[in-house]
Amino acid sequence: MTDPAPPSQPPVPPARPVTGTDPAVTLRGGDLGWRPVAPALATVRLIVLGAVLVVPLLATVVVALLVTSWVWLGTVALVVGGLWGLWVIRRQVSAISWVELDEEIVIRKGRLFRSLSSVPYGRLQYVDIQSGPLARAFGIASCEIHTASPESGGSLPGLPTAEAEALRARLAARGEAQRAGL
Amino acid sequence: MAPGGTADDGWQRLHPLSPLLRGGVVLLAVLGYVVSQLVDSVFQSFDPEQYIPGAGGEEPDGGWSITSHPLLALGALVFVIAVVGGVSWVSWRFSRFRVDGGQVELRSGVLFRQHRQVPLERVQAVETTRPILARLLGLSQVVVQSAGGSDSHLTLAFLAADRAEELRAHLLDLAGRSDERGAPQHAPGSMQSGAPGAIGTEPGSGVLPAGPVGAGHEEARPLVRVPNGRLFVATILHGSTIVLGILLVAAALTVGIAEAGLKVLAAAPAMVPVVFGLAASRVKELLVHGNFAIGRTATALRVRHGLTDLRNATVPLHRVQAVEVLQPLWWRPWGWWRVRVNVAGVHTGGDGDDTETVLLPVGTSAEAMTVLSALGAHPEDPVLLEALHGDGGEPGWTGPPESARWLDPWSWRRTGYALAAHSLYVRRGRWTRRAVVVPHARVQSLALHQGPLQSRLGLVSATVVSTPGPVDASVPHLDAVGAERFLDVVGERAREARRAVTPSGRDAAARAGEPLAPDPAPLVD
Repeated sequence: MTDPAPPSQPPVPPARPVTGTDPAVTLRGGDLGWRPVAPALATVRLIVLGAVLVVPLLATVVVALLVTSWVWLGTVALVVGGLWGLWVIRRQVSAISWVELDEEIVIRKGRLFRSLSSVPYGRLQYVDIQSGPLARAFGIASCEIHTASPESGGSLPGLPTAEAEALRARLAARGEAQRAGL
Repeated sequence: MAPGGTADDGWQRLHPLSPLLRGGVVLLAVLGYVVSQLVDSVFQSFDPEQYIPGAGGEEPDGGWSITSHPLLALGALVFVIAVVGGVSWVSWRFSRFRVDGGQVELRSGVLFRQHRQVPLERVQAVETTRPILARLLGLSQVVVQSAGGSDSHLTLAFLAADRAEELRAHLLDLAGRSDERGAPQHAPGSMQSGAPGAIGTEPGSGVLPAGPVGAGHEEARPLVRVPNGRLFVATILHGSTIVLGILLVAAALTVGIAEAGLKVLAAAPAMVPVVFGLAASRVKELLVHGNFAIGRTATALRVRHGLTDLRNATVPLHRVQAVEVLQPLWWRPWGWWRVRVNVAGVHTGGDGDDTETVLLPVGTSAEAMTVLSALGAHPEDPVLLEALHGDGGEPGWTGPPESARWLDPWSWRRTGYALAAHSLYVRRGRWTRRAVVVPHARVQSLALHQGPLQSRLGLVSATVVSTPGPVDASVPHLDAVGAERFLDVVGERAREARRAVTPSGRDAAARAGEPLAPDPAPLVD
C-alpha cells in the first residue's frame, strides 16, 4: 500500500511492448500483439457439443435399425450438424483475441459476425472468474469484465486458470490506479 | 497474490443455515411434504387397522412400496435429510466473502465456482433485506449494489441480522471513506447521507438524499409543461396508428369491390387483437405521460407525470449518461421532439421503464432546447443544430461511405458522428430523426461490430456503450478505416476526459462522469 514507486510500474507491467506511437486497434489483423485464447477452449466446447449430440444420434440409429430406415436421414442431419459445429467452434475459438493496452483492454471475437470491444480499465466495476467442472479439468477459466453497462460484454473465455487469475489481479490494479487518479 | 486457497486472510463464512434458506420455500415445501408423507406412513404402518384388507383403501398386500415398511420409511427420511444436510454443508463450506484491499469479494460454488469482487468506490448502495423465512430465523442478507443492473449486485446471503447491519455500516463507512480520499470537504455530508441508505438514490424512490449540502433542493424551477391536448395528438400520430388507419381506409375502399371486400371482411376478426394491442399501447403512453411537467433544481431535474396516478421522479443531473432527441416523421410538421436520457442506476425494461428516462414526451423545438440546456447543452450550438436538422455533408461530421446505401438506402447520408469539446454527437435516421449526445467523460466502452453483409461491403458499425437505458449511441455502417478512426478518436477523447477527471477527483464534472460516485458530490456544480 505504501509503495514509494509510482503504483503502475512494479505490480503492473506495461501491457504492450510500447514503441512510441500507437499502432491502430483494428478489427482484423494488426500488429498490436494480439493474444489468442487457449486451444483447450475448443476442446471443451467440442466435448459439450458431442455430449449434446450423442443421445439424439444414438436414438436415431436405434430407431433406424428397429423401425424404419428413413430415420437414417435424421442421423445424417445430426452428423452433418455436428461436423458443421466442429468447424464453427474451431473457427470461433481461433478468432478470439485480446490485448491489454495502456488504458483499455480490447477483446475481438467472431469471424462471420465480428465484434471488438474496448473497455477502459478506469470503467471496470468488477471482474468475474468462472469455470465449470469441464473447463477446470482442462485448466481454463473465463474472465468476465463488467462495467456499468451490461452491453460492454467484455467476456474472455478460455484463459489458463493462472493466467485468468493474474489478469484479474492486473485489471483490478489498473482499474484502481486509473480510477484513483495517477 | 491471489492465493485462491483457503488461507485464512480475512475470509469469512456466511451463516450455516443460508444454503437451506437460499434453496428457500421450494426446498422447504418439498422437504415438508416428504417428511409429512413419511411420518404419516410410519405411523399408519404401526396402526393395525390399516392392514385390514379393503378398509385401508386400495393398498394391496402384494403391492410393495417404500412407504409400506416403517423402517424403510424412516431410513428414507434419514437419507433425504442427510443428503440435503450434506449438500448444504458443502455449499456453505465453499461460500466465503471478505472485505479487504478496497473491495468486497465473494467466492461461491462447488462445481461452478464463482469469484466476484466489487471495488468499494463503485458501490452505489448497500442494503439489507429480510425475506420472510430469513426473518423467522433472525437472518438478513446484505446486497452490495453497483450500477449495471441487478446482475452486478453482490449478495451476501445470509448473515445473522445484527452482523448484517454491522457489515452494512462497515461497508458504507469504507465506501464513504474511499470517497472522502478524493473529496475531503464532503466527507461529513457523505457519511450522514450515507448512513440511512441514501448512498446513491434508489431508483424510483424519487427523493434526493437529504444531505446538508442539498438545501437548495426543495423548490424546483419549472421548465416545461406539456399540454395534454398536444400529448393526445402526438400519441395518435404514431407509426402503428397511421399504418392501421391506411389499412382501414384501404379496407373501406375495397369493400365496394365485391369479392376482395368479402375477403377483407373475413380477415377483420383477425385484426381485433392487433387493434386492441395497439390501443392499449397508445393509452398506456397517454396515461404515463399525461400531466407532464419538468422543473429543475440546482442539481437535479424534477419530473412529474401520470394521467391517473401522478408520479414524481428526480433525475440527478450528474447521473445522466446520454441524451437523445428524436422526431418521428409525423411530428415534423408540428416541429415536435421527444427527449430521452440514460440514467445510471435506473432500472429499465421493467414496467415503469419510461418514468425517469423521458424528460420531454413531446415538446416544441424551443421546449426541447430548454430541457437540453438544463442538461448542459447550448441552444445555439451549431453541432447540436446539425445533429437535429442536418441532412449530411456538413463539415465536421463523419459518416458512412456510399457503399452503405445498400444496407441503409434512406439514412446513410444523414448518419454520422461529430466531436465537440465535451461531447460526442451522433445522428441517425431520416424519417425518425435522432440526435444523441454522449459526454466524453461518460463513455463506458467502445465497440465495433461487423456482420457478413457489412463484411462484403467493407462496413463496420461503431458503438459508444452507455449505461442501460433507451438511448443507443451507435453509428452504423462506417467504412473499416473510418471505424478504426472512430475507435481511435473517440477513445482518445474519452481517455482525456477520464484523465482530466481523476487526478484531482474533485472536479464536479468528474464526479458526475463517474455514475457510481457513492455520494452526490457534484452538488457544488
